Order: sequence, then C-alpha cells, then structure tokens
Amino acid sequence: MDPNKTNDDELNAIQNIDKIIHEPARLLLMAHLFVIESADFLFLQHQTGLTWGNISSHLRKLENAGYVAVEKQFIDKKPHTTLKLTDKGRRAFKEYRKNMKQVFEDLPE
Amino acid sequence: MSKKIDLKEIERKAYTSYHQDGVIDVTIAFVVFVFNIMMLSDMPWLGGITGILAISFYAGAKKLLTVPRIGYVKFPQQRAQRITTVTVVLGVLAFVAGIFAFMQTTSQGTPAWLQLLIENYMLTIGTAGATLFLLGGYAFKTKRVYAYALLTLAMFVAGHFIIFPLYYYLTVLGTLILLIGLIMMIRFVRKYPKTTETAEE
Repeated sequence: MDPNKTNDDELNAIQNIDKIIHEPARLLLMAHLFVIESADFLFLQHQTGLTWGNISSHLRKLENAGYVAVEKQFIDKKPHTTLKLTDKGRRAFKEYRKNMKQVFEDLPE
Repeated sequence: MSKKIDLKEIERKAYTSYHQDGVIDVTIAFVVFVFNIMMLSDMPWLGGITGILAISFYAGAKKLLTVPRIGYVKFPQQRAQRITTVTVVLGVLAFVAGIFAFMQTTSQGTPAWLQLLIENYMLTIGTAGATLFLLGGYAFKTKRVYAYALLTLAMFVAGHFIIFPLYYYLTVLGTLILLIGLIMMIRFVRKYPKTTETAEE
C-alpha cells in the first residue's frame, strides 16, 4: 500500500469537511433540524441551550449557504418564523457525517 | 465538541420534551370520565362526541399551553403516519366487531362468545382499555401510556374478583391519570415559562 496515497485520502477527507456546518453551534442547529421537519426559534432555543442572538446569527449563515429555509407567516395575527433544512442542507449534513466518520476511521491508533 | 452528537437521542429528547406537558394524560383522563358518565347515565351518544371533544381539547391545549412555552415543532411524517395507522386499524376493528356482533345477535340471538364477554364485563373492558392504551402508547411513542395499559388491566382484573361497581374503577383510573397529567402540566409550566421574545429577528 502506498503510504502517500493514504495520506492524500486523509487530507482529502479533512479538506472536504464543510466548514459552515463544522462550527459547534451550527452543527448543533443542523443536527436538531435534521431530525425534525420544522421548528421555530423558541423550540431550537430550548433544545440547544443557545441564546436567541446566537441562534439568529448562526441561522443567518446557514440560510445564506442555502442549508436552512426561513419561512415567515402570521399565526393568529402574530408574526411567526419557522425554520427547516432545505434539500441542499440535508445532503450537506449527510455528507458532513460521512466525511467526519471517514476522517476518524482513517486515523491511526 | 466534547460531547458526541447522537441524532436518535436528539430526536427522542425533542419528541419527549414536546409531550412532557401532561396534555395527553389529561385528555385520556377526560375520555375515561366521559366513558364513565356514558355507562352511568346510559347515554351512548356521548361515545360519539367524545372523540371530537378529546381531539379538540388536545389540539387547543397544545396551541394555548405547549407551543407558547416550548415553541413550535413539526415532526417527520413517519410519526404522523404511525398515529393515522393506529386510528384506522382501531376504527376498522371496532367496525368489523360491531357488524359481526350485530349480525350474529339478530340472526341467532346473543351468541355464546358475546354472552361470555358480557358476563365477564370487567375483564372485557379491562382488556379493551389496556389494548387501547397499548396502541396509544405505540402511536404517540410515549412510555407512560404503556404503564396506563398495565394499570388498567391490573385494576379491572382485580375488579373481576373484588366486586365493586364499574364506575368506582373508572373513577379511580381517571383520577389517577388526571393527577399524573396535572402534575406534569404544572412541572411543564414552571420549567417553560411563557416568553415575550418574538421570532422576528
């Protein structure tokens, strides 16, 4: 086995890690949105333990990347914002999981 | 991150925290009480509107109590399908059993199996109630509803041997479930006070 090739594979796997998702707070938000269909800020705040401002700024980055869709609607005449992962976001999260597994599986003992 | 991200655990936590509000329990207690009144007052039509009232109560309580405190969440379709499947299975079973019993009763008088069920009505009601709770527990993936199934079966099996009126058992069962629901509701309201923040960023 060519040791240089193995090093290249590891390097590729690490380089392929999505830096937008890799940030801990965003990873937490992505993981929560991955297991549900949609939720609002308040639900995510309770589940993740992040602050309102923190969630807002990270979600903006995820929205800009096209990973999260923000839907604003009126419920009982009150503004309500729901968030959900886009198809692109789901694919990116699956890819991220795969790459992370690969990185750690390839590491020597 | 030092902690491992377990997606199944995240989903379980999200789902259970949404159902730790005691609304399911209070709704079940309501159904038990209505069933009790129906048996006591001989008003079978109450059975027909119980389902509508229970669903309205459940949806209203979720909207007024749960969502303003814990936030809005929609779970994946598989969960909703599970509830729909159980409802359809229950409906079909009840319908087929009803038609079968009706046809046999009208053609041959009360058949022996129906007579047996009526004579051992405590066991019949207990088994039917426990089955309903088991299906409810499966549909809502809520472990304490399985405990209600066990409680119902134990109470009605005991009731088969210790002769008290039926309403006594139903009142005790409904009160126990109601108390558990109310305790959970109070805990939930304390844990998640209403927030004034809005989602408009």
